[in-house]
Amino acid sequence: MSAPIDISGLRKTFGSTVALDSLDLTVKAGEIHGFLGPNGSGKSTTIRVLLGLLRADGGTVRLLGGRPWEDAPALHRRLAYVPGDVSLWPNLTGGEAIDLLGRARGGIDEGRRAELLERFDLDPSKKGRTYSKGNRQKVALVAALASDVELLLLDEPTSGLDPLMERQFNEVISENRREGQSVLLSSHILTEVEALCDHVSIIKAGRVVESGTLAQLRHLTRTQVAATLRTPPPADFAALAGVHDLHVVGTRLTCQVDASGLSELLVRLAALGVDTLSSSPPTLEELFLRHYDERV
Amino acid sequence: MNATVAQTRRATDTASRYAATGLLIRLALRQSRALYVTWIAALTLTTVATVLAYERVVPPGANAELTMAALGGNPTMRAMLGPPFDLMNPGGFTMWRVGTFVAAALAWMAAFGVIRATRAEEEDGRLELLRAGAVGRRAPLTAAVLVAAAACLCTGVFIAVSLTAAAPPARSALAVGLGIALVGLVGAGIGAVTAQVSESARGARGLASAALGAAYLMRAVADGSAEASGLRPLAWLSPLEWAALARPYAAERWWVLVLPLALAVSLVWLGFRLESVRDHGAGLRSAGQGPARGAAGLSGVVGLAVRLHRSSLIGWAAGVAVFAVAMGSLSDAFSTMVSDLPELAEIFRRMGGGAQDLREAFYVAMLGLIVIVLAMLGVQVLGTLRREEERGHAELLLSTAVPRRGLALSHIVPAIAAPTVLMAICGALLGLNEALGAGSVEPMGRVAWAGLVLTPGVWVCVGVAMVLHGWLPQHAGLAWALVGWSLFVAWIGAVLGLPDWLRSATPFAALPTLPVESMDWIAVLLHTALAVVFVAVGLAGYRRRNIGGG
Repeated sequence: MSAPIDISGLRKTFGSTVALDSLDLTVKAGEIHGFLGPNGSGKSTTIRVLLGLLRADGGTVRLLGGRPWEDAPALHRRLAYVPGDVSLWPNLTGGEAIDLLGRARGGIDEGRRAELLERFDLDPSKKGRTYSKGNRQKVALVAALASDVELLLLDEPTSGLDPLMERQFNEVISENRREGQSVLLSSHILTEVEALCDHVSIIKAGRVVESGTLAQLRHLTRTQVAATLRTPPPADFAALAGVHDLHVVGTRLTCQVDASGLSELLVRLAALGVDTLSSSPPTLEELFLRHYDERV
Repeated sequence: MNATVAQTRRATDTASRYAATGLLIRLALRQSRALYVTWIAALTLTTVATVLAYERVVPPGANAELTMAALGGNPTMRAMLGPPFDLMNPGGFTMWRVGTFVAAALAWMAAFGVIRATRAEEEDGRLELLRAGAVGRRAPLTAAVLVAAAACLCTGVFIAVSLTAAAPPARSALAVGLGIALVGLVGAGIGAVTAQVSESARGARGLASAALGAAYLMRAVADGSAEASGLRPLAWLSPLEWAALARPYAAERWWVLVLPLALAVSLVWLGFRLESVRDHGAGLRSAGQGPARGAAGLSGVVGLAVRLHRSSLIGWAAGVAVFAVAMGSLSDAFSTMVSDLPELAEIFRRMGGGAQDLREAFYVAMLGLIVIVLAMLGVQVLGTLRREEERGHAELLLSTAVPRRGLALSHIVPAIAAPTVLMAICGALLGLNEALGAGSVEPMGRVAWAGLVLTPGVWVCVGVAMVLHGWLPQHAGLAWALVGWSLFVAWIGAVLGLPDWLRSATPFAALPTLPVESMDWIAVLLHTALAVVFVAVGLAGYRRRNIGGG
């Protein structure tokens, strides 16, 4: 089975603005793929190209084995989409909107619909114009998750949800993963991506700058080490290969170390005698900031 | 009300309730200035062009007075234009020929302008952002009414000044300008009230249009009915008639102008009262619950289109049906009238009055008006396609198995079908009265057919709107310019003596007006084919362009 999403060299411009610049992205079957990037980096544009709403200017895009622009309606029977900013029909109730979208996709699982309404604590009999942002998002989520589809395209789906609902969302997505559903989850909520995703791609200015499993990405970056030593470290410690941001106060040492320099550092520390030692893997936030924050 | 709230309210002085009104005025001007300037220019030019055309329309001669009297007594003209007072004066003629029309259009502009700056902004959530700042509770409505009132006043001043130059005395010119401006102000009041009643801008516009349409219909029935009829005084109940009833250029009755002023002030006051008792974002009626499940029919774009257009179409159908029955009831008055003046036929032709047979002329005039109003309906229904895209609904739908062509057709089909069906109904109802008198359904069928023959013009308008939507979505509003131009030509194109090529440059001009002209299948089929091509071209563009931008 081919990858549900396979993009290579995708280019999209709006007038003189380059929104996507040779973007590569592959989502494998059964994978929850985190798509990270700040506002305006091209996440939504990528998803809209996948949905056949925007026409690609260059590169190849395969979606569920088909072409997103030409085969749009047929492919859409097999996927569901939740936009980040859900706008509902003011005169339709939430329940009506769920049924409309579900049926337009080719059918809705009745039991699943009822269960999701319960879990997301959503009143389906209110009119669209009276829902809050979070509740509008729940309407779109229920409509998407109650459909029996192979692929979910979620564009910042939890940006309006409260923490309880966010947890429900995480649980539902995890359950779906067990059934083999693939997910492209665009987000800038890093804890959510860290909790859910097998694979992460970081996009910057229309280009994927980092892609891999969390473990792989962590390997590429630095571990935070803090130690209390029996004897103060010598001055040449800072010159160790792969050690950065070294701070020494008496016998207390903190530094960051590249994966390649970790073994050497531990050997040197052990020679000095170690009272306490803690090391923490880099958080996704640090990974993310490394690409975006010039100061880090 | 608890003590704290009462204290707070006492502490709130008038100034703070109106805080930042100046800022909101500048915002409203920034957002709507192009719209207002266009309207003001169009309405002023209409008036000026009419007064300048007077010499040409009424040739000097012994029969001038006689022909003008016959013209003013013609019930079709009276129903469409209002009561004539002194047609021998260019100013009085202008007031009769376009004055009430300009006043009605100005009232419509003001009502929509107020709704646009208040309810539409509120519905889209922008007013909430502003109200969170140091902006008084009454500031948005105050600013909207003031801007609309200023636009009305500008129009009135321009008209008064240009009439002073073209048709003295200044006193009478002032009466025209003032009357038109004050009727416009009534429209601002109507907008101020309806913007509070409905929680959607669309609903508010519908209510305002219904109110103005009812006012127009009431004066049309009153003016068109026979001299001795008890319906004549009903004209006094229609605010749109008040500018004319002040008799500019014919011994002015200045006191009549107190009526629109008083009504406008009352309506604005009512608007503020209603606004103070409702919540931000809400209408007067709190939003109720609805069904938790979608009905079986709500299963795709067709079911959705039915839901989106249903209530608006019911309103339109009721409105045009009442109009057609009411106008049709006037046809009794015509059988007794005979046009025996040779000049009259020629004058009628120049006035756009149509045929020599008064009843047929009446049908032709009414159908020509209704068909353009129904073209507005068609363009409005098709406009839903654009609104659905702007609000992100199209994106949601197209992310399902809905194909683009299906989504577009779900709005194109009603945009074509609704005006067509309504035109047939209107024609039949227009002929209802004659049919009752004759004891035969033949008149209903005949007038309905005459109406249907004009509908390819509506289809062309919808086609143009679709081309714009498919290829130049940001300029989709241009379709309204085509309909507006058609209305302008139909209303005063003949009076102004516009060259033939210009007058025939509308989607309706080449279509045969039965029974005055003979049936012209080629024109009907050509317009139909043109509409089909436009729709196809528009669809092709819609299927190949980006949806929703970036």
